[in-house]
Amino acid sequence: MPAAVPPPFVSPPVRIVVDLELCQGHAVCQEEAPTVFRVRERAGGYARVELLQAEPPDVLRAQVLAAVRYCPNRVLSILEEK
Amino acid sequence: MADPVRRVVSGAKPGTGHFEEFLANPARFMLRAWEECGEVAEFDLGGSTNVLLVGPAAHEAVFRAPDEQLSPSEPYAYMVPVFGEGIQFGAPVAVERQQVKMQSNALTPRLMRGYAEIVAGEVERRIADWGDAGEKDFYDEFKELVLRTSTHCLMGPEFRSKLTGEFGALFHDLEMAVSPASILDPYGQEEVFARRDAARRRLSEIITEVVRERRSGAGEHPDMLQSFLRATYTDGRPLSEDEIVGMVIWIMFAGHHTSSNTSTWTLVELARHPDHAEKIAREVEGIFAGGDELSFAALREIPRLERFLFEVLRLHPPLVTLMRLVKRDFDFRGLTIPAGETVVVSPYVAHRMPDLYPEPECFDPDRSFPDDVFAYIPFGGGRRKCVGNAFALLQVKAVFCALLQRYEFELVDPADSYREAMPSLILRTTEPCRLRYRRRS
Repeated sequence: MPAAVPPPFVSPPVRIVVDLELCQGHAVCQEEAPTVFRVRERAGGYARVELLQAEPPDVLRAQVLAAVRYCPNRVLSILEEK
Repeated sequence: MADPVRRVVSGAKPGTGHFEEFLANPARFMLRAWEECGEVAEFDLGGSTNVLLVGPAAHEAVFRAPDEQLSPSEPYAYMVPVFGEGIQFGAPVAVERQQVKMQSNALTPRLMRGYAEIVAGEVERRIADWGDAGEKDFYDEFKELVLRTSTHCLMGPEFRSKLTGEFGALFHDLEMAVSPASILDPYGQEEVFARRDAARRRLSEIITEVVRERRSGAGEHPDMLQSFLRATYTDGRPLSEDEIVGMVIWIMFAGHHTSSNTSTWTLVELARHPDHAEKIAREVEGIFAGGDELSFAALREIPRLERFLFEVLRLHPPLVTLMRLVKRDFDFRGLTIPAGETVVVSPYVAHRMPDLYPEPECFDPDRSFPDDVFAYIPFGGGRRKCVGNAFALLQVKAVFCALLQRYEFELVDPADSYREAMPSLILRTTEPCRLRYRRRS
């Protein structure tokens, strides 16, 4: 039996959860992580965030965490792997 | 959880209901209503049925409800003569939402970086002639300081340079017209309302002049006024001159007494808790030890000062009631609140629930806060949360970073004589609010 080879280390993606009912469309997230969040204005409705990628790669983790932390309405959260 | 039960607050009088007691002190009345009735407390403000809803689950239900079901426009109709027709609750809700977005567009991190420096600069200028020691009424002092910092950040240096005592006095006349009495009868207090209308007319002249100057000049201005000049509705229409005036009065009004009172309370609590004040002063010193400018990044992360401010806003939230007219029957855990009644959420009561905040009346900056966005609501919540919340925190943090590096403070009068007062709808300290300051050695 060949010795077990550990799988190559791959950081898990960051899984983002958005609570759209609370989103006021400040777009702080868009400034912190422009490749992940986009805020769109809607005629008659509240501007609100769209995810450009729901599971951005780990290299964007710091940007995403800043977006989560500084969201004025606390709309964003991260689903950590258990 | 047991089903909620709706109870009626005792002490209603024929005709006026609970209005007199509410008028005397809305904060304490709300607290009594909750202590007596629990999470669903009905009271009568002279003909209108109001239902106070208390607890994170109830706040969440209110903050998640759509505007078409729980509407703020009617309970806050008394703001329309202050901000103007066509602005905020004087506009259809679809327009108002876009106006709020125009405000948040001027409060992005990119612009806030500049605001942080401006606030620090204003504090430096203000304290330049304070000398080594002295005594001041800090209710007045912070009113002036916040007015200067806000006008400079939001309206630009040319507006700030023209700022005179008149501007603050005009805002005072506006504020005096937003009293609990105006909730009941916006047309009944003739003298107060005449002063309000005159103040608004004069403010409109002052602001229009600055808008026209700005339009005719060149250059990029990284501030809110510039944002408003460039803003368009989703149909492409720009803001009219009158709308810009209204937007300016709205944001200045919303951010003036709220932030100045929070600053006053913060200073009083720092003086009451010198051990915490000392630790915060050391934290601030550490951050700026290298002679660094007061930077946005630094202001975002000052844990001790921040926790202290959170505790100030827990115990002394500037707004004690948030009201919504029920336009479609509203269901809260099986209990229906019918259309036509008004639901009320109270940050003042929310922050005094002993199971979430043990010994709630005790000021304790080391306390842990519940991890629930609906348990701690100094700025409200949901899509109608205070649009300036991040700016307000930045402003107050910048003010105290500058002050605490230079001075230490102590109360002049007995500690328990600095009490809550509510001559208008904003919870503030009793006057005078005297403190002594001494330069740090």
